[in-house]
Amino acid sequence: MSAGAKKRIMKEYGECMAETPPGMKINFDERNMTKWEVLMDGPDGSVYAGGHFKLEIVFPNEYPFKPPVVSFRTKIYHPNVSNDDKGSMCLGLLRPDEWKPPNKVVAVLRLIQSLMVEPNIDDAIEPSIANEYKENRKEFEKNAKDWVKRYAK
Amino acid sequence: MSDPAFLTPEEEFAQLQKLSNEYEPETTGPLVGDRQSSAAIAIEYANADPVYRVKTAALPAKYAFFRTCRGDGHCGWRAIAFGYFEALLHVGDVTKFEVEEARLISMNNLLNLAGHHEDLYIDFAEEAYDLLRKLAGSLQVGNGAGLLLEAFNDYSISMSIITYVKLLASSWIQSRANEYQHYISTDLKSYCSQNIEAANCEIDDVGVAALSTALLKPAGIGLEILYLDRSVGEEANVHEFSQPMNFNGLIPMIRLLYRPGHYDILYKAEDLPAPPQPAPIHVALAYNNQHNFEATTPDANLLSMIPGMYSHNRFQDMDQSFGQRWSPTSYDFDSIPAPQPQITPVQSYAPAPIAPVSASHQDYMSPVHASPMSHQSPASHHSLQMEQPPVQLPFHPAPPPPVSIDRAPIAIEREGPFRPSMYEFEPGYGAGEVMPFQTSQFRDSHYNTCHFRNPSFQPEEWSPHQYRTGNKGRHKSTSQ
Repeated sequence: MSAGAKKRIMKEYGECMAETPPGMKINFDERNMTKWEVLMDGPDGSVYAGGHFKLEIVFPNEYPFKPPVVSFRTKIYHPNVSNDDKGSMCLGLLRPDEWKPPNKVVAVLRLIQSLMVEPNIDDAIEPSIANEYKENRKEFEKNAKDWVKRYAK
Repeated sequence: MSDPAFLTPEEEFAQLQKLSNEYEPETTGPLVGDRQSSAAIAIEYANADPVYRVKTAALPAKYAFFRTCRGDGHCGWRAIAFGYFEALLHVGDVTKFEVEEARLISMNNLLNLAGHHEDLYIDFAEEAYDLLRKLAGSLQVGNGAGLLLEAFNDYSISMSIITYVKLLASSWIQSRANEYQHYISTDLKSYCSQNIEAANCEIDDVGVAALSTALLKPAGIGLEILYLDRSVGEEANVHEFSQPMNFNGLIPMIRLLYRPGHYDILYKAEDLPAPPQPAPIHVALAYNNQHNFEATTPDANLLSMIPGMYSHNRFQDMDQSFGQRWSPTSYDFDSIPAPQPQITPVQSYAPAPIAPVSASHQDYMSPVHASPMSHQSPASHHSLQMEQPPVQLPFHPAPPPPVSIDRAPIAIEREGPFRPSMYEFEPGYGAGEVMPFQTSQFRDSHYNTCHFRNPSFQPEEWSPHQYRTGNKGRHKSTSQ
């Protein structure tokens, strides 16, 4: 990893520390600054409220010219998060072709929070959950809350 | 069915689509390559269809060199950014670099207006400023081209500068909505965000136009792009985006070669600084002196072969050779003996400091066996000298020592504007002859035709005739 990338990550970490968006906590390891661990609370008013989700943000060597990789380490019932052991998330500004080098990690964290409030159905990674969200909102909410209880407490 | 040969069309299509989605373009090679002959492009297309063959064949005649950019989806941005710095190097003015840095910094306002945050883009911009400063500092040393290539092959620096110029172009477009809106169907902000600023997007025509207006035109750098495509014609179409200015005869120009989806950098021969000219006169002088050594008596030769050693003969050798070279009579090709003020007795040297003279001529002291060139002996004093033992030299008539003996002509001879040697006027001068080399420094340099870098390289051959008899034979044949 280049010196520029390290400098950038440190800078962003400083900003995140100075002004952490509400409802999240960032664990940062000086020795491995390319991997951030984020603890995110389920936003109030969403089906995930009350849950605590562990996320991982991995910065590629080419950062900031390639997007960071975001994954849920805590299982979550969400149309935009892959329902497997990876829990990966790839949409919006996280896509390699939409990523812009001046984007900030804070913007990524805010995007995740807003997606927890309102999933992006058109860009779903789990079509069945997206379908359920569209067709049968009640069932979706029940499943989501169920998963929160099972995995995110 | 698992056998790919029996796929249904839908399955096959799906598979092809999948392959196509996963395809990543060839991203090997340096981010910016070394400058090379553009004949390589013609060779590359030798088996292509005729339109390309004709167009690429016409290329090297006009554009002698090119430089590859890695096709990683940024090559257009990279090529223009690289060209910008290279063009500034070409102008080679420290002030110009400072002016450019100030101008780029002042454009931060434009970026801020477009909604970019200074704390974020400044990292990218700093790389551009740093490179400007580095290159300005390199003008003294002259290693700018190497530094530039090194910087652009550093992924982080290269990408930072690309990101910076993308932001410049994007901000420029957004600040001139009424100018650029005609070319764009969506709204400018989202267009720039998707087609200019995105990390993974190649430059398009709007981007080229914006960047050349924002970055190149105010700097006086020209930009033209050759479009190598299947359109009708015998040469690739050239489109000029920016007109270069003239900086005291230096015209900074960026030329790009566009092949669908890819940009490389082209150069015309006149875009490049002239390569340093080798100084063939060095060889001629060395040779000239050589011959005089051969003409002297054998024992004098022996003495003169010892580095740092000089004898009366040696002095006279020098004297004659300088006299021939520098006195007005030296261009006299008649076989009639010219007046010979250059033959001076040894005594006249006594007051001159010996050490500097010998030091400045150590170069010439070396083995004497190399083959001489054809040479007319215009002055009779050669033969005279051969018959005379060294001790008799003081009995020559003693005219006042000519100016040419002084150290001043020696200095001129080593550094400056040379007067041509008389031997250069002879037919066949320097053609095909293996030049006798005088010093180990010269022998190992590329001025020697035996050196692989010499343009008229010729392997060294041992020819027994050249050693002793060759000289005499030549001498006779030319003087008859």
